[in-house]
Amino acid sequence: MNVIKSVQLYIDKMIEEAGVGMKILLMDRETTSIVSMAFSQTEMLQKEVYLFERIDSGRSNERLKYLKCIVFIRPTRENILRLSNELKSPKYGSYFIYFSNVIPRTDIKTLAECDESESVREVKEVYADFLSINANLFSLNIPTCLHALNWYQDALDRSVSGIIGVLLSLKIRPAIRFKNGSNVAQQLAKKIFDTMNKESSLFSFRPPENGDAPPLLLILDRRDDPVTPLLTQWTYQAMVHQLLTIKNNRVDLSSVVGVPSELKEVVLSAEQDEFYEKNLNSNFGEIATTIRDLIESFQLKAKEQKKIETIQDMKNFVETYPQFKKMSGTVNKHLVVISELSMQISKKALLELSELEQDMVCRADHSAQLQKVKKLVAEERINIDDALRLILLYSMRYERHANCGTVGLLNALKARNGRTHLVPKMLEYISQYARTELFSTVKITDAVKLTRQLIKGMKGVENVYTQHVCVLKEILEEIFKGRSIDQHYPFINDVPAYRRPPKEIVAFIIGGATYEEAMAVHQLNQMGYRVILGGTTIHNSESFLDEVIAATNGAPFKHSRSLQAFHSASNA
Amino acid sequence: MFSDNDSEIIEGFLCPICRSDEKTAEDLLRHFEDEHSEEKDLISTFRDVFKSAKKKILNNLDEREISKAIESSLSINKSIIRVDFKGPQEIGIFKDHFEYFKAIRNPRLERYATETNKLIIRLNKLLTNRPTDPQQIKQHEQNLVPWIDGKLVKLCPSCAKSFFFTRRQHHCRLCGAIMCNECSHFLSIDESMSIINPSHEYPKPDSSQTDVIIKEPEDTIRMCEHCLHLLETRKEMQDGRLARPFITKLYERIETLKKEVMPDIAMYEKIIKSLYKGDSVYTIADASALRGKIGSIAELLDDLSKKALTLKAQQGSREEALHKSLRMGVIKFIKEYMLELPQIPVEDEIKKIQQKRVMELNQKIERDRRLAQEAFEKYDLCGDISYAATSSKTGSALRTVDNWSGYQEQNQTNANDPLIIQINIVKGYIKQAREAMRFEEIESLEANLKELQHEYWLKTQNN
Repeated sequence: MNVIKSVQLYIDKMIEEAGVGMKILLMDRETTSIVSMAFSQTEMLQKEVYLFERIDSGRSNERLKYLKCIVFIRPTRENILRLSNELKSPKYGSYFIYFSNVIPRTDIKTLAECDESESVREVKEVYADFLSINANLFSLNIPTCLHALNWYQDALDRSVSGIIGVLLSLKIRPAIRFKNGSNVAQQLAKKIFDTMNKESSLFSFRPPENGDAPPLLLILDRRDDPVTPLLTQWTYQAMVHQLLTIKNNRVDLSSVVGVPSELKEVVLSAEQDEFYEKNLNSNFGEIATTIRDLIESFQLKAKEQKKIETIQDMKNFVETYPQFKKMSGTVNKHLVVISELSMQISKKALLELSELEQDMVCRADHSAQLQKVKKLVAEERINIDDALRLILLYSMRYERHANCGTVGLLNALKARNGRTHLVPKMLEYISQYARTELFSTVKITDAVKLTRQLIKGMKGVENVYTQHVCVLKEILEEIFKGRSIDQHYPFINDVPAYRRPPKEIVAFIIGGATYEEAMAVHQLNQMGYRVILGGTTIHNSESFLDEVIAATNGAPFKHSRSLQAFHSASNA
Repeated sequence: MFSDNDSEIIEGFLCPICRSDEKTAEDLLRHFEDEHSEEKDLISTFRDVFKSAKKKILNNLDEREISKAIESSLSINKSIIRVDFKGPQEIGIFKDHFEYFKAIRNPRLERYATETNKLIIRLNKLLTNRPTDPQQIKQHEQNLVPWIDGKLVKLCPSCAKSFFFTRRQHHCRLCGAIMCNECSHFLSIDESMSIINPSHEYPKPDSSQTDVIIKEPEDTIRMCEHCLHLLETRKEMQDGRLARPFITKLYERIETLKKEVMPDIAMYEKIIKSLYKGDSVYTIADASALRGKIGSIAELLDDLSKKALTLKAQQGSREEALHKSLRMGVIKFIKEYMLELPQIPVEDEIKKIQQKRVMELNQKIERDRRLAQEAFEKYDLCGDISYAATSSKTGSALRTVDNWSGYQEQNQTNANDPLIIQINIVKGYIKQAREAMRFEEIESLEANLKELQHEYWLKTQNN
């Protein structure tokens, strides 16, 4: 279960089928991202793919008949039209056509009728229809997927084809559970279920033997956990995304002061960068130590290089040299990233903030926490967006509290020209379930949680900055422990009861996953479970707030009437 | 292994039974045979342990900690991650539509093909024995293709405009259909010839000229859009199949070179490794010859890819991008596989190291053996046949490790021995193979030689 590998295997297959000779890869906007996240350009060169072209923009009329053309596009109507035109007057010698998902037969017919020069050699569906970020994390790059708390039709369709793609490329036919009470989750689950039945010939895998439960597809809703994307992150990949933003594995560093020109934009790919792969889930303290050690050992090496006296020295140096050279480039890159992160942490007082965030999320202590939030929100050194995050967390946490101080905090935020309108929107976005369950530390009914909380309190906390456990992790643990989750996560169809928990889970979060959740999944995988996480996109706090705004647009205000003053102010 | 229940850890040449420290290997062996001679079977085990320990120490001497340290610092959690996510993975599902595609495409193509073939045959007829006089040309054309009666057609079928005295009717010379002058297309005689006979080179018309309608009936053939399209499609397919631009030849050359050099690189690395191990299979001269060969291929590749850059291509065009990309591919290849070859060891020093090591090894082995022999003679264990056998066996194993030459000198008198002759023949082969740089051959021949030499040694031993 490795989503990067599954995309690579598909691409390798396409290239292999085209055979030897110079090749060009013709793609659309989305498949370009899909390919670029699986292979670097250098790797493609080694596979004899020398040119890349976008079918949807800036095409020239040059004819290069000695090139083989591999077409890898999504089966959209526009793409079919463009490809028909291409085939009518072919620019390249032969065509190997691959669609990233199920294509209607009529479209094949249209294309066949255009191929008058008999240049098509291959027409296939492959299912690399998702962006593989880590081995166990995929995204569909849908920045916002809801409107008035309901699906955008395009986003729903894209999510269905993306998930179908993941299932087919991993060869699993799962049972489907969805978050009870979430309309969007139920809709998506139903659509995927229907598609699986319609394409039953594709999904004809043998069911697991000896009574094992089938793999599970778990459809979740971001609205049930709007807290996780708002927290300050302390593991490498999550931090980089939170503070610098990762887009298709690329990080824009051009705004960083004093960055060398070749590092204005860096690629952070677990597949191509060993250091990153090893450390993307390390916390900041660990990674700082690791990189220091690495630099020290390189300095040692460099010193050694100067005093090569014996043959033995030379041999040792030469043997480690390629690795040394390869690594020194990466180390340089990570050094720039890490020092920028470290600069932002101190400038924005993130340690202080994070402590309060975690405290609010994990412990109930209203008056003290309100005091701290008030104090920090008013302080100039606290970034206005970070202040907003604090208020959002507070307002969700203590929405029903008798002495709720949200209005006061909003006034403070308004004084600093903060985006106050986001608070009522967030209160509309958070689901009913999350309202009652997310901060249920004081609920007597949930004995298990209460006991756990008590034990936690007695043991003391290992790390104040990473106490929070995301909802996803809790559910996955419940599932693997074999507890019944039917009440909150029912099956979309009747599934015979299995005594054993499923061995493989694909979890998909509507409204975007986060790198904190990716790390939780990674930890479970290290314990031997097999989980893949996906989301309509991968959020950091900022992109999540955009999602919240888009999702609540057009939705009636039910929960935040008291805050409407601020809402109308923002509309004006 | 003996300090399991002992809190103190002692180091040195310890006796495994009484644990006294004996300072040197010789002393220890003597001590062992003095004090614990009753434990016979232990002696052989002890010797084995001793030997393997020595081997380990000798090998480990040349491994540096730094490179290991770097590796280990880079490989946190390596084993754990690799288990689940780097294991072999099957390729996902795919679905083939090509059969259906062909079922739609091919009948259409066949229909077109027959039609096109008919047109080409007509074109051929039109061009053979073509009269020069315009009046006669018309007659010639009408004889070959029946023209449609002009009275039946009131409107031009392609632009739907009516015919009258300024918009006159024209006939397609290939199918006989009617159209107006605006909708007529013209194919030059030269182009027509090249369609009929694609393998023949005809003076190519200027590309700018093809779009311009040429109206001299002597040099062109008038035809309708449909016929022209069919002919053009055919011509393009032919061109595509016949086109072998220089870049493809260049590219093929580069790829063959790349493929050829890979085994050489692997071989070179093997030779260097074996040199450092102190094996005598390959010589430094082998390494440098092969390195030279790889180097010259690298240069050739570099030259070829540079040539690609000099090929004519419009600025900013796809072709130019391709040339650049080709060049980059070659540079990456050279960098990755050819530039980072390990250096050739300096001959004198490696020899010294080798000799020293071999000598040390020999001396130690000899000394140990002598000591053991003496000890056995001294303490009279001659009744023990099994030991004698082990001893001679160890001896033979040791012989194959070091160079054979010493023994050969002793037995120089036996020049007529068939084994010696065979050995010399094999040596000759090795020399030839070396000159031709066939290194795989050398390896198997060397193995062969060793076997022969061993056989010979056994033989002399028996005598």
